[in-house]
Amino acid sequence: MIQFIKKRDSRVVPFDIAKIDDAIFLAAQAQGGSDRAMSKQLADKVYKILESEGQDIPEVEHVQDVVEKVLIKAGHARTAKAYILYRNERTRVREMKTQLMNTLKKLSFADAKDFDLKRENANIDGDTPMGTMLRYGSEAAKAFYKSYLLSAEFSRAHEEGDIHIHDLDFLSLTTTCCQIDIKRLFNGGFNTGHGFLREPNSIQCASALACIAIQSNQNDQHGGQSIPNFEYGLAPGVARSFIKNIDLALDMRDAPEDFRAEVKQALYSFAFPTGEYASFRSILNEKGQAFTREQLTARLSAREAAHVMEKALARTDKDTFQAMEGLIHNLNTMHSRAGAQVPFSSINYGTDTTPEGRMVIRNTLLAEDAGLGNGETPIFPIHIFKVRDGYSANPGDPNYDLFKLACRVSAKRLFPNFSFMDAPFNKPYLRGSDPDHEVAYMGCRTRVMANRNDPERETTFGRGNLSFTSINLPRLGLKHRGDVEGFFQELDEKIDLVFRQLLERFTIQSAKECRNYPFLMGQGIWMDSAGLAPTDPVGEVLRHGTLTTGFIGLAECLKALIGVHHGESEEAQELGLRIVRTLRERADAKGEETNLNFTLIATPAEGLAGRFVKYDRKLFGNIAGITDRDYYTNSFHIPVYFPISAFNKIRLEAPYHALTNGGHISYVEVDGDPLNNLQAFEDIVRAMKDMGIGYGSINHPVDRDPVCGYTGIIGDTCPRCGRHDGEGIPLSVLKRLKGYVHDSRTSDERSESRDRIANIKL
Amino acid sequence: MVHAKSDTSVAADQILIGSNVKFERIRRITGYLVGTLDRFNDGKAAEERDRVKHCSMNTWK
Repeated sequence: MIQFIKKRDSRVVPFDIAKIDDAIFLAAQAQGGSDRAMSKQLADKVYKILESEGQDIPEVEHVQDVVEKVLIKAGHARTAKAYILYRNERTRVREMKTQLMNTLKKLSFADAKDFDLKRENANIDGDTPMGTMLRYGSEAAKAFYKSYLLSAEFSRAHEEGDIHIHDLDFLSLTTTCCQIDIKRLFNGGFNTGHGFLREPNSIQCASALACIAIQSNQNDQHGGQSIPNFEYGLAPGVARSFIKNIDLALDMRDAPEDFRAEVKQALYSFAFPTGEYASFRSILNEKGQAFTREQLTARLSAREAAHVMEKALARTDKDTFQAMEGLIHNLNTMHSRAGAQVPFSSINYGTDTTPEGRMVIRNTLLAEDAGLGNGETPIFPIHIFKVRDGYSANPGDPNYDLFKLACRVSAKRLFPNFSFMDAPFNKPYLRGSDPDHEVAYMGCRTRVMANRNDPERETTFGRGNLSFTSINLPRLGLKHRGDVEGFFQELDEKIDLVFRQLLERFTIQSAKECRNYPFLMGQGIWMDSAGLAPTDPVGEVLRHGTLTTGFIGLAECLKALIGVHHGESEEAQELGLRIVRTLRERADAKGEETNLNFTLIATPAEGLAGRFVKYDRKLFGNIAGITDRDYYTNSFHIPVYFPISAFNKIRLEAPYHALTNGGHISYVEVDGDPLNNLQAFEDIVRAMKDMGIGYGSINHPVDRDPVCGYTGIIGDTCPRCGRHDGEGIPLSVLKRLKGYVHDSRTSDERSESRDRIANIKL
Repeated sequence: MVHAKSDTSVAADQILIGSNVKFERIRRITGYLVGTLDRFNDGKAAEERDRVKHCSMNTWK
C-alpha cells in the first residue's frame, strides 16, 4: 500500500488518491466533461499501476507520467492533452519561481559591474539598498504577472523576444507618463497628500513647487514627468518676485508703510487682475513698466522711481537665476520611486515672449550652463527648446537670442534638445500664440497630441502615454529573408498581437481607482480627472492617453530582408518607409475602430538594447550586420557604426518622424568641441528644422576630470593635468597648472562668471 | 574640485591628489544622459563604443 509521495522539493508527504481524481476531473472538465465516477475509476487505475511497480514512495513526476499513460490508453485523448498542457503550465510557473529566486540571489550578492540586470536602468545604482529593493520588486512583479496575470500568449511572445512589453513590472499598477500643466496646478494652490501648498508668491517658491509637482507625480507613474509650459507656468512667479522686490526697494528707502501698501496693491491688481496665479499678465513689458512708474512717481521723483525699478528688476533677475539653479540641483538630487532614483524630468520652453517668460528661459539656460556645485553636467531635467517660426527660430524673432543661447549651452552640456513646432506634422495644431497648442515632448521622445477621445482638446497638457509594446523587427526579417511579402504578412499578425496585449493592459489599468493616484488624479493633473471621486474608476479619463506600438532595429530588419539598410540604399529606405507606414496605418485604423489613441513610437529601447539580439543570435546564429553586435539599432535610426554625413542622416531619418506620431528623436554625433564652432552647431539644428525633424539633439562627448576640473574630451589621459583614469597626481603638478584654483570662490563670484557668457537683453 | 589640505610641512610633490577618482564621462543613451559609463548595460555599452561621428566641428564651414 502506498502511504507517501515524494514532492519535487524532496519533501515526503502523505499520499492522497483524491488529488489524482481531482486533477483528472479538472482536465476533463476543461474539455466539457462532468463524469466524476469516470475520474474516480481512472484514478484507481493509476493507483493500481503504481502499486504494481512496487515503489514505497513514488515521485510526483512519475505519478503524473502514469496519469498521462492511463488517460491515453483509456481513449481519453482530449482530457490527456488538457492534463499535459496544465502540467506544462505548472512546470513553467515553477521554473519561473526558481528563476526568480536565482535572480533575487544575484541581485543580493553580485556586483552591478558583473551582472547586467543590475544595470538595466542606467540611472539607478543597483548596488545601493533602495536600488536593490527596487530591482527585487521589479523582478518579482514581472515573474508574478507573467505567471498569473498576463495572457499566456503575450507572456510567451515577450519571453521569447517577439515583442517587448515595456515596464512590465508596472503592468497592474499604473500608466507611463504625463505632461504637467503647472500654471493650472499652481492656480489656487495644491495638495501633495500631506498638507496644502498655497499659490507661489515668488519665482523661488514657484520653481520649488515645480520640482515637488514632478516628484509627486513620479510616485504615481513609472515613466517620465514633463512640464509642457515651463516658462509660461513660472512667469507669474517672476512678476510676483518683481512686485516683492519693488516693495523691498521702497523699504530700503524708508518709504512710508501706507505708500508701500498702495503700490503693492496696485501692481498686484495690474499683474493679477482676478488675484489668481493664472490670471497673470506681464508687468515687466512696456505697458506694465509705465504703470509701475506711474505708481511710484505718485510720491517719488522720476529719478528715484527709476532707481527703485532698476534695483527691483536686477534683484528679480538674480532671484530667477537662483530659482533655476535650485530647480536643477533639486531635480538631480531629490529622489522619488522608493528613494532609488531621481524623477525622469523634462521641461519644454522657448516661445514665451513676455519679459517674465524670457527671464525664466534665459536663467534656466544660464543655470544649466553653470552646472552643478562643482560644475558637473546636470543629468536632469531634460531641457527641450521649442524652435518656432516667428517666436524663436529666425533672426528677428523675439526669442532668437535665446535660441542662440540654447545652442551655446547645448554645445557645452548636451541639453537643451530641440523640438520643431513647424515640422509638417506639428504645425497643424498651432493656434496663435497659445502654448496649449504647441507640441511638447517628453524628454525621452514621447509625443502626445491628437485626441480621438475629444477632438476639441488636441493638446499635450494633462495627457501622456498609457503603455507601449515594441515589435522585434529584425526577428521578422530573419524569419523571412528575401521574402518581403511573407514578412509583411507576419508583421500584420504581430501588430494584431500587440494591439490585443495593449488592450488587455488597458482593461487592467481602467479598473484602477482615482484614489490609487493621489497626485496624478487626486490633484487633477490628468485631463478630466478633477471630476473624479476617490473610488471612481479611471478608465474613462485614461481614454485621453495613448496606447502605443513601438519597433526596434529597422536597419537590421532591412539587412535581413534585402541585404542593405536604409543608410546604404534608396531601395532600402523605400522599404523601410513602407514598413513604418504599415505600422502607422494599422495604428490609425485601430484607433478608428476603438476610438482610443493608438499611436506609433520610435522605441527608445531602454532595457531592450541587448535583449532581443541575444535571443535572435541563438535562433539564427551570428549573422554579419544583423546579429553580430550586442544591440539592435534604435527604432528607425541609421546604425551608429555606419559612416554617414550629418545632413544625409537627418534627410533619411526625417520622413520617419512624420510617421511616428507617438514620439521620435534623431541624433547627430559631432567630433571636436562644438563650443569652438557654434555656427556649425546652429546649422545642424536648422538643418533638422528644414528637413522636417520633429525632435532632435546633437551628441558630443562631455568628459570631466574632477581632480583638475578640466571639462572637454578626455582620452586615456587628461589633457590638462596628464593623469590617467583613477591615478593620483602630485599636488605640486596641480599647483603649476594654469588656472588651477583651490575652489574657494563664493557662489556670487560663480554667478558673476555666468553673467559674462551671455549678454542677452531682457 | 578635489581639495587638498594645505599642509605645508609635507613637500607638495609627495601629496598625491585624485587616487581612485575616475573621469566623468557623460553620454546620451536612449534619450537620457548618464553620468558614468559603468552603469550602462552590456547592449548600451556596446552601442556607445560603436558610434561614429557624422561631422567634425573642426573642419565645418
